[in-house]
Amino acid sequence: MDIYAQNILDRYKKPFYKSLELGVGSLKRDKDPQPQADSYQLAKRKEANHSCGDVVEVGLEFQDEKLKQYQFSGNGCAISMAASDMLGDLTEDMTADEILAITKEEIYEILGIEISIRRSKCALLGLLALQNAILESRDEKLRGWKDYHI
Amino acid sequence: MNKSDFSIFAQHPQLVYLDSAATSQKPKVVLEAIQKYYTEMNANIHRSAHFLAESATIAYEATRKTVANFIKAKHKHEIIFTRNATEAINLVARSWGETFLKAGDEILLSKLEHHSNLVPWLQLKEKIGIKIKYLDIDEVGQLIFDGSQITEKTKFVSLTGMSNSLGAITNLKPIIKRAHEVGAKVMIDACQLAVHSPIDIQELDADFLAFSAHKLYGPTGVGVLYGKAELLEKMPPFLGGGEMIQQVFEDHFVAGDIPNKFEAGTPNIAGVVAFKAALDYVNQIGFETIQKQETSLSEYALEKLKTLPYLTLIGPQEVENRGSITSFTMDKVHPHDIAEGLSQKQICIRAGHHCTQPLMDYWKLPATARASFAFYNEKEDVDRLVEGLEEVYQYFS
Repeated sequence: MDIYAQNILDRYKKPFYKSLELGVGSLKRDKDPQPQADSYQLAKRKEANHSCGDVVEVGLEFQDEKLKQYQFSGNGCAISMAASDMLGDLTEDMTADEILAITKEEIYEILGIEISIRRSKCALLGLLALQNAILESRDEKLRGWKDYHI
Repeated sequence: MNKSDFSIFAQHPQLVYLDSAATSQKPKVVLEAIQKYYTEMNANIHRSAHFLAESATIAYEATRKTVANFIKAKHKHEIIFTRNATEAINLVARSWGETFLKAGDEILLSKLEHHSNLVPWLQLKEKIGIKIKYLDIDEVGQLIFDGSQITEKTKFVSLTGMSNSLGAITNLKPIIKRAHEVGAKVMIDACQLAVHSPIDIQELDADFLAFSAHKLYGPTGVGVLYGKAELLEKMPPFLGGGEMIQQVFEDHFVAGDIPNKFEAGTPNIAGVVAFKAALDYVNQIGFETIQKQETSLSEYALEKLKTLPYLTLIGPQEVENRGSITSFTMDKVHPHDIAEGLSQKQICIRAGHHCTQPLMDYWKLPATARASFAFYNEKEDVDRLVEGLEEVYQYFS
């Protein structure tokens, strides 16, 4: 049996960015333990795929407008968990605007497998949480599945 | 044993279809009936004064008679065709509920209910302020009822006859009897029950009963609402439009008689006509044969699945008081991943919350995997499922 590509299975079993307890206050700050309020921005957001019960919550720390710390927690299938983990590599040092410009095609590309319609929400749940975390912190209109044209 | 009656198994010879609780496969006689309707008698019913419309109307009404016989209804005008069972439940919630319930009235549902028997009542709660109570379930998913849950305050009870998530079959009669003692009306969501068990509505004495054609080997787009005539007659129309009226004036209308009063607009004529072929097919095989095969499959599946140490069966653990639906979880593997792996081997199961989120919350599960069997399944299908599950587990360990 070969359900998913090895990279997905690896990330599902041994994620780099997954944290059991996620709270903005408890995010690890490995560079500047006493950040200046104006140079640090925190964001957090939980999204769920109600059709299958998957949940992803992301926690973000920006410093000097660049993403320095990405973490997620959640419960879900191999694709949703692996995709949420791979977002950590993709978004390192990105600005919030760069993150908001990430497309579903980029996610499909890093997953490296063909994503069927029935699994598209699994692949994009992490991205939805990530982008909405930023939009929510800016008090802007949140995105929904229709914004990804799925 | 009956796979040759279903074209899809010829199209996909390796198919192991274990998702009949979502929708059943359709026998050739149903496909032929759809073709025959459009080829020989397509016309709009109840209106046009020509011979085709006459044939179409006769065929449409013949299904109504067959459905009435199928559940032993007294009158064919107690059978209303809707788009699906969901619409049938909404019809009762809106038409009966908004007319006869008021703020503070209690209705009783259960933790087993499908969203389609929850949301219409939650909408009614928002709209007029009814109170909703829920029957609890025990550790294997059977409803707990001792009579005390229905009180003088209870005005309506709406329950599933068989859980679509767990397969548990509800012991309806004592609940219906108790509800009637306090003057409450009762609706049964029989979507799953009607597929696996004969229904005698006279004996059951439910006031309303809903089910869908597509789970009963018929086409999609056809639902059935049974209602006692004296209740349906007192209820206002649900949707307004053609077909449901007697007279229309500039400032008012006079609704037609039942059942037309509740069938506004052109219905799914072909679907209703072909549904008769499905019911004739089921009657020809007979529930005795269907139940024998399904019970034997459930027994075999439970026995085999229990041997897999990494599986947890959710719901009834034995074959008693259950239909041929089995829900389970696998250690460390998400139900979606189980379904994906099995799908690669052409084994179709359902993964998710099965439109029963409150039930999943109750079990503290995000989702389960569900295998549901119909009489066209064979023991070999169970063996293929077990082999597939073993491979999925190995893959993820």
